[in-house]
Amino acid sequence: MSETLAASGPIDPSKRTWLIASGCAGAVGGIAAAVPFVSSFQPSERAKAAGAAVEADISALQPGEKMTVEWRGKPVWIVRRTPEQLAALPQHNDQLADPLSQRKPTEQAPEYARKDEARSIKPEYLVVVGICTHLGCSPSDKFKTGPQPSLPDDWAGGFFCPCHGSTFDLAGRVFKNKPAPDNLEVPPHMYLSDTKLLIGDDKKA
Amino acid sequence: MATFHEISPNASAGAKTLNWIDNRFPLSKLFKEHMSEYYAPKNFNIWYIFGSLSLLVLVIQIVTGIFLVMHYKPDAALAFGSVEYIMRDVPWGWLIRYMHSTGASAFFVVVYLHMFRGLMYGSYRKPRELIWLFGCGIFLALMAEAFMGYLLPWGQMSYWGAQVIVNLFSAIPFIGPDLALLIRGDFVVGDATLNRFFSFHVIAVPLVLLGLVVAHIIALHEIGSNNPDGIEIKATKDANGIPLDGIPFHPYYSVHDVFAVSMFLFVFSAIVFFAPEMGGYFLEYNNFIPANPFQTPLHIAPVWYFTPFYTLLRAVTSEMMYVLIGCVLVGAVLAVAKIKMPSLFKAVIAGGALVVVAMMLAIDAKFWGVVAMGGGVVILFFLPWLDNSPVKSIRYRPTWHKVLYGAFVINFFIIGYLGTQPVSVIAGRISQFGTLFYFGFFLLMPWWSRLGTFKQVPSRVNFTAH
Amino acid sequence: MKIMGFTQKIILGVAMTLGLAGAVQAAAVGAAWDKAPNRINDMGALQSGAKVFVNYCLNCHSAAFMRYTRLTDIGLTTDQIKDNLLVTNSKIGDTMKAAIDPTQAKAWFGVNPPDLTVIARSRAGAGGTGADYLYSYMRGFYRDDTKPTGWNNHVFPNVAMPHVLWELQSSMSPGEYDQTIGDLVNYLQWMAEPAQTTRKNIGIWVLIFLAGLIFLTWQLNKAYWKDIK
Repeated sequence: MSETLAASGPIDPSKRTWLIASGCAGAVGGIAAAVPFVSSFQPSERAKAAGAAVEADISALQPGEKMTVEWRGKPVWIVRRTPEQLAALPQHNDQLADPLSQRKPTEQAPEYARKDEARSIKPEYLVVVGICTHLGCSPSDKFKTGPQPSLPDDWAGGFFCPCHGSTFDLAGRVFKNKPAPDNLEVPPHMYLSDTKLLIGDDKKA
Repeated sequence: MATFHEISPNASAGAKTLNWIDNRFPLSKLFKEHMSEYYAPKNFNIWYIFGSLSLLVLVIQIVTGIFLVMHYKPDAALAFGSVEYIMRDVPWGWLIRYMHSTGASAFFVVVYLHMFRGLMYGSYRKPRELIWLFGCGIFLALMAEAFMGYLLPWGQMSYWGAQVIVNLFSAIPFIGPDLALLIRGDFVVGDATLNRFFSFHVIAVPLVLLGLVVAHIIALHEIGSNNPDGIEIKATKDANGIPLDGIPFHPYYSVHDVFAVSMFLFVFSAIVFFAPEMGGYFLEYNNFIPANPFQTPLHIAPVWYFTPFYTLLRAVTSEMMYVLIGCVLVGAVLAVAKIKMPSLFKAVIAGGALVVVAMMLAIDAKFWGVVAMGGGVVILFFLPWLDNSPVKSIRYRPTWHKVLYGAFVINFFIIGYLGTQPVSVIAGRISQFGTLFYFGFFLLMPWWSRLGTFKQVPSRVNFTAH
Repeated sequence: MKIMGFTQKIILGVAMTLGLAGAVQAAAVGAAWDKAPNRINDMGALQSGAKVFVNYCLNCHSAAFMRYTRLTDIGLTTDQIKDNLLVTNSKIGDTMKAAIDPTQAKAWFGVNPPDLTVIARSRAGAGGTGADYLYSYMRGFYRDDTKPTGWNNHVFPNVAMPHVLWELQSSMSPGEYDQTIGDLVNYLQWMAEPAQTTRKNIGIWVLIFLAGLIFLTWQLNKAYWKDIK
């Protein structure tokens, strides 16, 4: 049985037809079979339930205070800013890398947190994910104003990341020439009432 | 050492790539040796699909297994829940689980049919004994793999099945209880047992299986395949050294196997999507109850593929011991009287028989039941040396041989069925006859396989074009 | 051909043995269970069953592998689930936990009430499906003053469980009670394997595709083998 192409004569059309037909069908079947396996990588119902939106009661939060809630394993800070702190925000825009939250418009903050310097739905309450946008450490609070070690002399209050020295203001905006490239992330959130915040969801039910 | 082959710069990119590889790795050579220039007999029938199907099921089990391990928790407190987590919370987890559970049973269906083909056509005969031995090793490894895999869901059947079988090891005289303790890693089947069975089931035994499968196929390709007529096709070659009755495996059998695979997948999918429990045989009802060390289910039975061997175990009661002692004595007497052998061998057989009978009288039937169960598998290893028939294939044997093989199959089904049932007097008796028939078929084969009028074996295979 | 005859004989022998086994199996069955009505695709029935389950069963029995969110599969919205079916202190992403403390339950009943997530799969047997068992069981309670709970059961003699639905049963006609239990058992059947409907629906397409693939590979095989004489 010699199988060299030259000796086998003209190309057998029936073999070629069925070869292509079954090849295509097999490929389609193979991809269809692969779909369930690849999909099984997606977050399971348990992961989705654990990552569900979290309620935060802000009734006890005083002006100048910060509280932390956990959402999807991450710390979310809710800071009740004083009028002075709010007023100070636009004054150091030139020291910030992205004062008006224009970088990565869809990733770092929803559109209700990009409309002005306060980066929040209600100006009083800042809601940000407490993870530095450099490499993921959690910055420390530096709410006291004025000169301090590792901070500029005109420090108006904010956050300082101990890992590589990035600084953020009281709207979570990153200062220029720091390792962190972006402002702190604002998670999707909504007010269920004046005292209840829902972190993780912003759909009107 | 192959010479380095330079290719023309005008050759296509594909040809150049292949040439680069071939200069460093025997890719084309392997393809030719094992596929396009491996000449297989042209008269393969349906019994010859089960080898490729076994390979397919092995791949299915490994792939589905990999994905299951991503979500399964090998911890006695978490295992049962993790399986339900896979069934409910993991996207498509239910499908992957059902494929794995159906695949386990499919593996045994396919392997039993594959072994039966070997039995019918004498595929284990010289010079293919080693292929058969590797195959029996695969069968043994497969049984271990399935047994350990079954503990993992940590249901009632998982737990109690493992408890019973591990306790069997404690029946071995002197070392038994310590051996059972060593296997379990604890005084009862527990978390320690689960963790080590997990390690064996996921890593150790699959590696052994893969190694044995590779050895099995290499040994096969070294000799060349047998065929339903039992004729050695290499005995009649053409001017080019190619067997006259041989056809290249690729494309003829690759295409044939692809057809067989699509039919298998149809049956497999019908079960996975419409009957994954298979009436409680593939997914046992009791296994939907989490393992409870304080409550044994009313009726423990091993999974269907172990039941014939379980019957062999249960058939050996203290009464049966006397029958078996009788068999040993009669066997020894006949061997010494009828077989020509040096006096030394005769003395050894006679002496050995007396020692065995003494042990059978001294040690509990429980231990001999374990021996019978193990023996039922081990006897298969000896088949190449038990078969004394002048012809390989059942096609050329006397008709009553065929009846005997048919009876063996029916007996295997009967003892298999009886293994699922609770003990009863009638079931016990039938099991005992079934056990004697099972062992008699093999142990007396050196004698009966020679008897009768054999048909003339042709020099060329029987083949009708289709 | 003789050879085909042999294989056919083996298949016949096997079929006969299996048939015989099946006949013996059927004859050996114990008390027959009533057949549970199959309303697995009836969303309304499943929702009523879910309600009975949450109101009566979840007090003592957990369904630890069943997540509340999965109830959207039987046609409920997340709000409906939150308003009608969530047990106190549970969130919609939680699994169905029993209200009772397991140690106390064991002290009161002598045994911890079993988890019911897959009960419908575990109770199948020679008498019928698991749903048949549960349907017969829930309708098999009778008064028995010799028992600590005052109740006994035809299907599960000396069961530790009291007749939780006795007030419901006495407030309904037998037909209505059967309907209620039917819905409850139907729900349990669904809860034991929520993927069952999807499984069968997808299965049909898979088999159709494979039937097509069989045809193609059969023709492919023929196209090559016509060369072999």
